[in-house]
Amino acid sequence: MATLTKQARKKIWAFVALGVFTGFLLLPLFLSLPAGASGEAPAPAASTAPPAAQPADAKPVEKSRDVWFKTEGPVVGAPAPKTTDGPRDYPRYNFESRVLLWVANQQHLYYGSFVLAVPIFCMIIEYIGIITKDKALARKYDQLAYDFVKISLTAYSLTAILGGILLFTYLTLYPTFFGYLSSIFRPVMHTYALLFVAESGTLYVYYYGWDKMREGFLKWVHVSMSVILNVIGTVLMMLANSWIAFMQSPAGVDDQGRYLGNIWHVIHTTLWNPINIHRLIGNMAFGGGVVAAYAAYRFLTAKTDEERAHYDWMGYVAMFIGVCFLIPLPFAGYWLMREVYAYRQQMGITLMGGLLAWLFIIQAVMIGALFLTTNYYLWQGMERMRGAERYQKYIKYMVFVLITCFIVWLTPHTMVMSPAELKAMGGQQHPVLGNYGVMSAKNGAINTIITTTVLSFIMYQRANKIPTVKWAPLGNAFLIGLFTMAYVNIIWLAIYGYYIPANVRVGLSVPQVATTLSCLFIGVALNSIMLKGAKDTGPIVWGQISVRSQYALIMLATSFTWMMGLMGYIRSSVRLFWHVNEIMRDNSPWAFTHTIGFAANMISFNVLFFWLTILFVFWLGSLGVKKAPVPAPIGQKVPVPASSH
Amino acid sequence: MAGQEGQLSTGMKIAFAIGSLIVAGTYFTFLDWFAMNIQGLDYFYLFRK
Repeated sequence: MATLTKQARKKIWAFVALGVFTGFLLLPLFLSLPAGASGEAPAPAASTAPPAAQPADAKPVEKSRDVWFKTEGPVVGAPAPKTTDGPRDYPRYNFESRVLLWVANQQHLYYGSFVLAVPIFCMIIEYIGIITKDKALARKYDQLAYDFVKISLTAYSLTAILGGILLFTYLTLYPTFFGYLSSIFRPVMHTYALLFVAESGTLYVYYYGWDKMREGFLKWVHVSMSVILNVIGTVLMMLANSWIAFMQSPAGVDDQGRYLGNIWHVIHTTLWNPINIHRLIGNMAFGGGVVAAYAAYRFLTAKTDEERAHYDWMGYVAMFIGVCFLIPLPFAGYWLMREVYAYRQQMGITLMGGLLAWLFIIQAVMIGALFLTTNYYLWQGMERMRGAERYQKYIKYMVFVLITCFIVWLTPHTMVMSPAELKAMGGQQHPVLGNYGVMSAKNGAINTIITTTVLSFIMYQRANKIPTVKWAPLGNAFLIGLFTMAYVNIIWLAIYGYYIPANVRVGLSVPQVATTLSCLFIGVALNSIMLKGAKDTGPIVWGQISVRSQYALIMLATSFTWMMGLMGYIRSSVRLFWHVNEIMRDNSPWAFTHTIGFAANMISFNVLFFWLTILFVFWLGSLGVKKAPVPAPIGQKVPVPASSH
Repeated sequence: MAGQEGQLSTGMKIAFAIGSLIVAGTYFTFLDWFAMNIQGLDYFYLFRK
């Protein structure tokens, strides 16, 4: 009876704690609701009041038109300042301020992405652990989720420190611009700060309460906290995105940059949602890559087979999650680019056909390398399984397809040439290779690459299994038919694109993407159903994988990091000489676009800096109280993500 | 896709292969038309010209 009372008391306290917690989390939102950016009473009230009620000396409310939404609103903010090159607007050291800001921004972004992504993994894995019936397996999942959050905890402190450095860099080097931005986003920035406090609190309770909330109902409270944690994290990211989206595609202000009193218009600019989706998916892929690299590092330094087995498994799960988000990432990027074109065609042309086009070629190389590495890791991973040999013979054909598509994917449209070279070649485009530098060919290439990656995964799924369901021959035949016709369709659409006008051709990307996604969803789902109750040809022997595969994981993580740095630079530099596009001009001496070489060096520096510091974080993580990995006896049930076999 | 092939006659295998190609081909043709149609574009543009 006494035990029951104690349990009941615990439950009540858990509910109270959760309620107080939720209240605290919602508090900033309530606080921000009544206040407009001006901090005054809503201005429209003044215009709707009868004229007689206004004091005689009251000035009429000036109204102006929103640059994007085209709605009228009361002018409640000052115009965007017209800056001049000097210590008032651009105080500086004997160094390019923009480069300092670049480093501070990029480092904060890397860590911010990481600490936003990892709790999402924790939530998923902890939940899988709860619903898994096998106790040993459930403990393994729980341990893995704990390992993930342990890594992110130290990184979280660094994120906050880097955020402070970024803020001071803005205040000291770009005070006028930052003053303008904060005058518009005042309530958003306050909410952001309060949410940051809430997230810190939630994260610490989530981490330190892990052991106390290990069993029963409290475990559900614990996993609920991870949901709250991720909701706050996502809202934080979206608020920060609203600032950069405003700088690129301003709204909620008039053509002079005067705030018109509608904070939702300022937040919800035309590029906000595409950036939100792209960043969320990108963060997940990046987070998966970093955790996989951590696991690879621990695998390579492991002293025992048990440790090696644990970190091999951890690396696989992290890679799996990362790749799950890598596959839709190009589509989210495509949507973002489409919206950029829709917002300002010139901006799209600068990005993909002008000044920054060569950076997209570098991006293509990175994306191709990511997919090649992923396939390589999966093929290496098949070494863990007896029975996988029967698929080895197909790998060489897949390599051929991937490399061919990779070459098409990175072929530039035009080349930088001397007049003599131009004359020798007969024009800007090579007579043969030039045909592969267009979007028709590239769309076909990348969709073929992704479809082949899906095929590799399906092969991996069934490497040590033989389907036993009665309809297996039919299922196999359908899988073969699906993939064969998918390849035919993707290549057909790519060729078809050469024979139809541009306005129709641009639409072909949608059926191509739909074809690839069909293979992903139908193929993987069908394969998973077929493998229910399948005959094992041998267990997955975790830890028995080549060292090369672990370097592949590190390569994946580095490629993600480099690509993030590159794409961030591209998105930011497309504003050219504007702080806020077409609203506030950048009059500093650095309002020019850097050379590709300089940008590449800066990105590499940022990547190196991040990896050096994250290694320090990994090392710090290993200093803490060590929880011995749960032993994974050879031949046990394979602990793989739910969607896998 | 290995494992079950040995249980089938060659004729059945060919029938399954052709059948699956027809089903998948029909599905992708419909998908192409539908994905273009929702964008207000004509998938059969070239053939109508």
